[in-house]
Amino acid sequence: MPSATLRPETQYATLAQQGEVAQLGMWVFLATETLFFGALIFTYYLYRLSYPEAIAEAAKDAVLWCGSVNIGLLLTSSLTMVLAINAAAQGRRSAATGWLLMTIGLGLCFLGVKGYEYVADYSDHVVPAVNFALKPGESPVSELFWVYYFVATGLHAIHVTTGLGLLIYILWRLRRGRISAAYYAPIEVVGLYWSFVDTVWIFLYPTIYLAGRT
Amino acid sequence: MNIEAKEASSFPFVCAWLLLLILVGLSVLSAFQGLALWAAVIEFGIAAFQALIVFLLFMRLKGPPSLKWVFAGTGFFWLIFLYGLSMTDYATRTGWPTK
Amino acid sequence: MAMIAAEVEPTYLDNEHTIASWLLTKDHKRIAMMFLVSITVFFFIGGFAATLIRLHLATPEGLLQPSLYNRMFTMHGVIMVWFFLIPSIPTTLGNFLVPMMIGAHDLAFPRINLASWYVFNLSGLVLLYALIMGGVDTGWTFYTPYSTVYSNGYVFAAALAVFVNGFSSIMTALNFVVTIHRLRAPGMTWARLPLFIWGIYAVSVVMLLATPVLAMDTMLLGVERFIGVGMFDPRRGGDPILWQHMFWFYSHPAVYIMILPGMGLVSELIACYARRPIFGYAGMTIAMMAIAILSFFVWAHHMFVAGISVYSAIVFSLTTFFVAVPSAIKVFNWTVSLHKGAIIFDAPMLYALGFVLLFTIGGVTGLMLATLGVDVATHATYFVVAHFHYIMVGATVSAFFGGVHFWWPKMTGRLYPEMWARFAAILTFIGFNVTFFPQFILGNLGMPRRYYTYPPEWQSWNLLSSAGASILAVAYLLPLFYLGWSLVYGKRAGPNPWRATGLEWLTPSPPPKDNFERTPVVTVGPYAYDPETDQYVTQDGVSHA
Repeated sequence: MPSATLRPETQYATLAQQGEVAQLGMWVFLATETLFFGALIFTYYLYRLSYPEAIAEAAKDAVLWCGSVNIGLLLTSSLTMVLAINAAAQGRRSAATGWLLMTIGLGLCFLGVKGYEYVADYSDHVVPAVNFALKPGESPVSELFWVYYFVATGLHAIHVTTGLGLLIYILWRLRRGRISAAYYAPIEVVGLYWSFVDTVWIFLYPTIYLAGRT
Repeated sequence: MNIEAKEASSFPFVCAWLLLLILVGLSVLSAFQGLALWAAVIEFGIAAFQALIVFLLFMRLKGPPSLKWVFAGTGFFWLIFLYGLSMTDYATRTGWPTK
Repeated sequence: MAMIAAEVEPTYLDNEHTIASWLLTKDHKRIAMMFLVSITVFFFIGGFAATLIRLHLATPEGLLQPSLYNRMFTMHGVIMVWFFLIPSIPTTLGNFLVPMMIGAHDLAFPRINLASWYVFNLSGLVLLYALIMGGVDTGWTFYTPYSTVYSNGYVFAAALAVFVNGFSSIMTALNFVVTIHRLRAPGMTWARLPLFIWGIYAVSVVMLLATPVLAMDTMLLGVERFIGVGMFDPRRGGDPILWQHMFWFYSHPAVYIMILPGMGLVSELIACYARRPIFGYAGMTIAMMAIAILSFFVWAHHMFVAGISVYSAIVFSLTTFFVAVPSAIKVFNWTVSLHKGAIIFDAPMLYALGFVLLFTIGGVTGLMLATLGVDVATHATYFVVAHFHYIMVGATVSAFFGGVHFWWPKMTGRLYPEMWARFAAILTFIGFNVTFFPQFILGNLGMPRRYYTYPPEWQSWNLLSSAGASILAVAYLLPLFYLGWSLVYGKRAGPNPWRATGLEWLTPSPPPKDNFERTPVVTVGPYAYDPETDQYVTQDGVSHA
């Protein structure tokens, strides 16, 4: 019944075509995101290769358990997201709702841990320009690492927040019956975005949290 | 659009999730071996492998439309030009890195 | 060619008349017209800054305070690059024509298309804020550490404007790529695409792959400017030249973002007015894609004297020469296309011929600059200024004006006054050369760019350049009047006033809301003109006498 109200937009012949094109559009967008974060990670590796000891010294102060818990949370949320997509594709609406809620919950937990970590960073005097003090044995290069840390994790947190907004929107569409087995492209597209944000964290994690271990 | 309802079993996804977590563990382990910059190489390799799993399974890179491959791959491929051509400068510039 | 259906269905302009029906439209044609208005506004703001610069440089004593002069050339650069040249052809003619030329009813993502317009104007407002509050004096390249540490202008706001502007580029380019891949009409194979579509496709690829790097770069610049600590800070071991690497990774391809749509567009004009097929269609498409890809390998030729390693400079000098190959292929093919054609010298064709000539001069001087030893001497002189103005203004703006004239009947349903348009086209060519050719000579004499004064013996060349600029200003203002006049008094154009072959000419002028009543079926390639018999075949396979 709900699918009867769905019609493709004028430029599409069928809903299937509309869904496929939406998916391709997201992939193109993710390619631009790859280059966006890739450029940032380039600056990181450039400085890490140029100043290996200084960066390692600075990265010692990154809170390993926060980053590790967070990578676990995000990987799990990618799993629940894909299960939500599968459920939606099979028309199991309440199951899809449950998995979506769990994904949102995991995303919120991620942001919670991240917020806690920022507070810990503040009291550790590693926030450039706001509260920063070089520790014994550190060189001014440390500050480069911490600028990278805040830019990278800040941008990532913005992406997670955007993803949460999209998930809530999808949840609303699902409840309104505007996602069904006949047309579930929106949840699939948001799932792509969500898993990509997860992938970004996969690459950020070793650059921040593992660089300072010996 | 792409997945048939019948192939949408949860089992492969749960396996992939477990594998991803194990890889995180390996990555952490490698960081504590005193390998200096080699650890960064190993960790980056593990991250790339993890990303591949996420892309292939969770993001359904396999399956039609095959154009997805092109779009997904181009972003990563183009980074090679940014990294590689910039390094022609940084690898040979006198006075870099500054001390 | 009376079309009965045209009387029944309202055109995209008459469909609804409320302001909301424009501001909330999803119709790519309306969005194109809205972009045309925005871009025209920025073109004249940027042009105003250029006018002040040329007035100032008419005498060695000058007119403006040095600091104001710096702000003027910065604003001229920023506005012209990001708010006119880069969006010019794609967002206006591209938006209007891509769905029509490939036989689609709209772009793939109409809402994103509309959002692109809003984001563009938002970024424009941020930039105007920076301009009104006191401007920026760094030059459009925002080189660190001057921009991050020493400059006392509104660098943060300007960088933010550039950052936000990038979203607009990406949204538009994403729409084009997906649309061209997936919404082509039946029979519209890649080998039958009009070259304008190939140009738009190539430029979209470049936009998508280059803009994110600039976004990250300006983001890091903004952070450093805002908090005083950042990735380009040499006091903390950072590398200021890293800004330039990432900036030019975008901004060199950006030059091709400006020129590639023009190349496609001019191919359309030359084929139609020479009444001949474009020579070497396949070569043209390959050349455009080759330019798009090679454009990413050459960026550090802007940095030969910036402090990069000499080995790196040799690599980039070599790759820069490679770009000349596909560019030359294009010029040869245009020339051969004209050979034995039945050339009609209407205004769009005059603009197109101007494009080819000016592009050739700009390209050949580009080769001189690519030569490492020559560039060390000519770097940051007026030789460079003249070179890139030949490409970006001479070529791109000519193509843009030619395209606007060519598709004006399609967009508005009215014909422009031909004699006035020819006059403006010739005036553009003359005014342009009088403005910028003296700058080659000045550069050769050693006049550095961005200096607010010069020795008195260079005044005659500078005065000549300024005189040319006033001719150019008239030539650019003229279309505003006669095109505006034609909106009301122009003769009504039929569906196909130029007897052209593209799908866009099959629908009434102006087109109905959904472009085509029935999705067209394509059976032949573009440019099926016959100069001997004066017949032509539109892409739906129908032959016309």
